[in-house]
Amino acid sequence: MSRFRSLEFILGAGITLVICGLVLASGWLFPDVGKIDLMARLLPPFQQAGHPFGTDPLGRDVLARAVAGGKISLTVGLVSVAGSVVLGVIMGLVAGYYRGIWDVILMRFADVQLALPFILLAITVIAVIGGSLTNTIILLIVSQWVQYARLVRAQVLALREREFVLAAQAIGVKNRNILFQHLLPNLLGPVIVLMTLNVANNILLESSLTFLGLGVDPTIPSWGGMLAEGRTYLQSAWWVSVFPGLAILFTVLGLNLLGDWLRDQLDPTGRTER
Amino acid sequence: MKTLTATALALILSAAAFAAPAAAEGKLTISSPQDPGGWDPIDTFLVNWASVATNVFEGLTYRGPDMELVPGLAEAWEELDEGKRIRFTLRQGVTFQNGEPFTAEAVKFTFDRLLGEEGGKGPQQSNYTSIAEVQVIDDKTVDFILKEPDPVLLTKLAGYGAMIVPPKYYAEVGDAEFGMKPIGTGPFKVTSYEPKVGVKLEANPDYWGGAPKLSELEYRFIPEPATAVAELQSGGVDLVIPPTIPIGMIPTIEADDNLEIVSTAGPTVAALRFNTRDGITKDPNVRKALIMAVDRETIVSSILAGQAETIGSFQGKDSFGYSADLQPLPYDPEGAQKLLADAGIQPGATVEINTRGNDSTFNEVAQAVAAYLSTVGIVATIKPYETNVLLNDIIPQGKTGAMFQQSWGGWTFDYDNTAYAMYHTGQKWNPYDSDPELDKLLEAQRPMTDKAEREKLLQDIAVYAADRALEMPLYNLNAIYAINKRVENFTPAPDSRLKLNEVTVK
Repeated sequence: MSRFRSLEFILGAGITLVICGLVLASGWLFPDVGKIDLMARLLPPFQQAGHPFGTDPLGRDVLARAVAGGKISLTVGLVSVAGSVVLGVIMGLVAGYYRGIWDVILMRFADVQLALPFILLAITVIAVIGGSLTNTIILLIVSQWVQYARLVRAQVLALREREFVLAAQAIGVKNRNILFQHLLPNLLGPVIVLMTLNVANNILLESSLTFLGLGVDPTIPSWGGMLAEGRTYLQSAWWVSVFPGLAILFTVLGLNLLGDWLRDQLDPTGRTER
Repeated sequence: MKTLTATALALILSAAAFAAPAAAEGKLTISSPQDPGGWDPIDTFLVNWASVATNVFEGLTYRGPDMELVPGLAEAWEELDEGKRIRFTLRQGVTFQNGEPFTAEAVKFTFDRLLGEEGGKGPQQSNYTSIAEVQVIDDKTVDFILKEPDPVLLTKLAGYGAMIVPPKYYAEVGDAEFGMKPIGTGPFKVTSYEPKVGVKLEANPDYWGGAPKLSELEYRFIPEPATAVAELQSGGVDLVIPPTIPIGMIPTIEADDNLEIVSTAGPTVAALRFNTRDGITKDPNVRKALIMAVDRETIVSSILAGQAETIGSFQGKDSFGYSADLQPLPYDPEGAQKLLADAGIQPGATVEINTRGNDSTFNEVAQAVAAYLSTVGIVATIKPYETNVLLNDIIPQGKTGAMFQQSWGGWTFDYDNTAYAMYHTGQKWNPYDSDPELDKLLEAQRPMTDKAEREKLLQDIAVYAADRALEMPLYNLNAIYAINKRVENFTPAPDSRLKLNEVTVK
């Protein structure tokens, strides 16, 4: 068991580190990433010296774009998840611990929010404030904090009746300390699992937004944008979309392994439900 | 074994028995990207309505794939009173698909309905406002009285709102039902329509032009190109009509031995129009330089796989008003750089290009344009918008960048339809420019009934607009059909209004 767990850590951390490293070094590795060459369109992979992963419909190098594309995708994925976790966890803690009017207001608000389909919300918001990287991230945060808030609130409802919380209250620990020192560490497990799933999910949502034309400048590569661009070429030039697809796959795999391991570290006895 | 042979023999014989007398056997299945939601001619402006309805309804005139205007339900017509009255002689012995006779009354009923209260609820009425009244002269003659001469009217009578409908049947079933179970005079009759799924048609054996050679048509509504192509490959559909096939899927279809691409120059033209009011594109010489900096030929031959043609004005070569004399500005990066330098534009000047976000082909084109502009020192960024936002807010409100996508095409193939909307002061599509000279030209051609004179004037307008470089004309896109090779006698219609009475299947 423990050997498997450490293997999980090594693989997860390894994959994540390699991908982050490559993405961070992409500017140095591939200085002319966006170079268009209409004479070298859709070259197949593994045949041309300069283009190991082939070229896309505009003759751009797929490898360079797949590596550089990680900048946008990882930024969107990580920042939006971090933002919605912070917002959602605070809201959930407050609602679950204090109950009463705060609970009613926050959770009804969450219900309303959940009733709105994401794409509808996205189109409306982007139409009003315009499409950009920052706006995409804000949109994802706004649409996803509810998930964390509900999860945390449910956990808090169960934990607040437990002896250690009652004991803390009895000896006069401040509410704020109970929230952040006693409750928070005990409910991080499921939050981390949800986070690792959502990073992947958000990378894909960013891609659907880019696909609908609500995202960022198409000359700036992103994994989602590359998938969308390669879609019509799937049967005739698979490499255009398969390599960015693999990049998403490995990123998600690495983060999931890492998250799984982290969850076990934080919750060694498996108290919380998986 | 014996029984098997016998069965097989019987099958072959019966098949032969069916095949022999009937040219009218066989079914064609067509994939169409859009469900128009109903079949009433006055309630639609969708090209994919016409892809079906051209087989069901007919107008007084007819325009087939060869783009020639020929007699339809009218055998002949003459223009009287200096173009303010058109007299039609109607075809005799024609019946609607339910047996109701086609009469002069039906013509009058059709246009009274179109121009009356009923038609006012739909989008078609506004195309026919030049008609003041339709008068029945006798059983086989009607007069169209016009408010002012309308040179495009005869073409407009060949489609959409001008399709002749049966008055008795309409009175029987009412408006809502007519939209679901339409009856016309065409070669095929609608037998069942399932919204969002498809519509089935059967041959009308009594069609005045001769019974159609297929017994059945089925249209399936498949909006997703990948699904339509997969259905085509698996034999689920025989024909995929425009606008479905993205350029990127053409190699997939060409690689399949059973399938082929048939295409013809369509009505759609694409351009990057300029903000002529602000910024560096205010200067016509800068606009010309930007055009010259972009190698449009290479864009067409590579990104568009040759399924388009470069244009010198904002119209294709089938358009009335096109002139072969007006050639596109040449690709000349050095000349462009010189023009930019003379205009005092520093290298590193920026322009923003706005596109429709869901148009994947055009976004590739825009990226190539941006790359070409960078070779003359212009930094172009692309900002895509959701299509409805771009069309209903960004362009009409004049909130675009220096350049913006305009894809345009009208089924009438008349340059007036384009030029007036693009260049006349105050039009929705013209947020930036106001040119009294151009306004005067545009207004002058509208009432002209002399065809040659009007064509000349439209050509002059195209030259005038090109001289001012009001847009970067890019290309005229083909109408692209993907078809199973078992389909024979199929002629691709440039306007996607296919009439399938001559088509056969193997």
